[in-house]
Amino acid sequence: MNLRQLLFRLPLYLGASGSPRRLWWSPSFDTIFSVGSWRGQSSKSPAHWNQVVSEAEKIVGYPTSFMSLRCLLSDELSNIAMQVRKLVGTQHPLLTTARGLVYDSQNSLQLRGLVVLLISKAAGPSSGNASCQNYDMVSGIYSCQRSLAEITELIHTALLVHRGIVNLNELQSSDGPLKDMQFGNKIAILSGDFLLANACNGLALLQNTKVVELLASALMDLVQGVYHENSTSAKENYITDDIGISTWKEQTFLSHGALLAKSCQAAMELAKHDAEVQNMAFQYGKHMAMSHKINSDLQPFTKEKTGDSMTFNLNSAPVVLHQEFLGRDLWIKQIREAQEKGRLDYGKLRERIKAGKGVTSAIDLCRYHGNKALEALESFPPSEARSALENIVFAVTRFS
Amino acid sequence: SQSPKVLGLQARACNCHCFLLIRHVQASQRTIALIAEMIHTASLVHDDVIDDASSRRGKHTVNKIWGEKKAVLAGDLILSAASIALARIGNTTVISILTQVIEDLVRGEFLQLGSKENENERFAHYLEKTFKKTASLIANSCKAVSVLGCPDPVVHEIAYQYGKNIGIAFQLIDDVLDFTSCSDQMGKPTSADLKLGLATGPVLFACQQFPEMNAMIMRRFSLPGDVDRARQYVLQSDGVQQTTYLAQQYCHEAIREISKLRPSPERDALIQLSEIVLTRDK
Repeated sequence: MNLRQLLFRLPLYLGASGSPRRLWWSPSFDTIFSVGSWRGQSSKSPAHWNQVVSEAEKIVGYPTSFMSLRCLLSDELSNIAMQVRKLVGTQHPLLTTARGLVYDSQNSLQLRGLVVLLISKAAGPSSGNASCQNYDMVSGIYSCQRSLAEITELIHTALLVHRGIVNLNELQSSDGPLKDMQFGNKIAILSGDFLLANACNGLALLQNTKVVELLASALMDLVQGVYHENSTSAKENYITDDIGISTWKEQTFLSHGALLAKSCQAAMELAKHDAEVQNMAFQYGKHMAMSHKINSDLQPFTKEKTGDSMTFNLNSAPVVLHQEFLGRDLWIKQIREAQEKGRLDYGKLRERIKAGKGVTSAIDLCRYHGNKALEALESFPPSEARSALENIVFAVTRFS
Repeated sequence: SQSPKVLGLQARACNCHCFLLIRHVQASQRTIALIAEMIHTASLVHDDVIDDASSRRGKHTVNKIWGEKKAVLAGDLILSAASIALARIGNTTVISILTQVIEDLVRGEFLQLGSKENENERFAHYLEKTFKKTASLIANSCKAVSVLGCPDPVVHEIAYQYGKNIGIAFQLIDDVLDFTSCSDQMGKPTSADLKLGLATGPVLFACQQFPEMNAMIMRRFSLPGDVDRARQYVLQSDGVQQTTYLAQQYCHEAIREISKLRPSPERDALIQLSEIVLTRDK
């Protein structure tokens, strides 16, 4: 039984009741393809992203599987599923994360893995380096590169799970019993650690110390990025952090760009490509991830049908840019004006932001990174895989 | 869990192995000690969140000072730093040996989540958990250090077995001290294991004399009064003595293994180390 089948069983455990609640920070692809034209949602849009992805998956041989078989067959995974089931009915974020993982699995959950496979194929074998010949080639991708793609997804998912840990002393009565939150935390830590341990094992099996170092440093970057995300007091006081767009870019690189960038580079290292190729792969990964994140941040501002209750992150790209243009004092004034009895009226605030330059600026930034990604691709020979990578960039930079 | 003193001794002990063959300790071997310490610390930080612990080594825990979210991230950060250091040593065998520890630590925690109904299975389960959570780190660090120091696989195995047996002995004594010492000595409250629902060596032995403990073990000492009653049973039984005796057996095994190496002051130190493991009181 492959992981997809296992994950499809999870909804039975999780109690599939209605559509899953998606938090603004979890990249969910159906919001990307609903970025429609001003004339309303083009009926091609949802199909478009799916199409890009399923074509990409065909190019890399088979749908990206999630974990290596060894990990799948472990007792721990069924243990985890069973424990997560106990969280049904509680408010622990892990339940949402798990639902997101399950429901998203139909829409290429494993974007990072897919990109790593595509870039591996696009680069092809390196020019006659003997050490490669021991590798096992299937579909133009070395098996070690496939393994790397899985490891990348493991690391990403591990931190996704760890992000859902709850601070116990910040709980309110509306969060439900303390016991549930403690239990949820426990399962979240163990699940995340389980995924990380499998990632480490996978890395050790690659027998390449440079790749281990790259991915370990990507993990460190990711942890630091998540730390910055958490440090914001935006949730409680509705204040945006006092950061300019360049700080935002640094932090976002850590939390969203580093893993993909370094994995792409590592994929090149595994095939023994030279430093130049490794750098181009890194650049593609980095810029594609940045534009993807900015696209995700723009959803609340570019979608046609947004309910007034839809919240957005006060530290997202368009908002940070809006603050930069306006100056901090004016921005804080706007936030205060949008508050009623201490609660923020997101709809009102959204209108103020849309009226400013933040949104268009963010769109420009998204396209800037998209173009950088495309530039990096130019040094790879034309191929199906390269086109698929280009199509991914086109898909995340579409706003009209 | 382990006190810093013993880990420090372990680090020096591992380095001592290599004194036997080359008369100096390599930088990479020192790094192994560092990496082992980091992996251990990362796991402790996570364990404290899992156990909702308020104190560790006589101080407040990371989760109590900075909250659970930061504690979990701190553990992940330390793990990533350890992995970077490990990669930079540049030896793929050593990487494989130490990533095994990371996996064992997680599996050990999972083992602790579950419990066995069958009494016979319980003891095996307890020893397996003890190996994975405690001894694996020491065993594999010793092995890694010996791999860096010499090419002979016989020596690697000796180092591994020494570390494994010392590690298990250490944990068994730790479990005993949870019953016999008082809190200001330990740096953490005693009966900690019972309060976490864990049935350790002394409890498992006591249960053989007092089968009425079975029900409490199965419900993980969750009813009011269970912890105190269990503690009383243990102190009335020979559970502590049996566990201590078992620890002695493991120490003897460790000494038997290390004695296969050439005589030297370092080898003597490692033998003395096992005495310390048995006689420590905190």
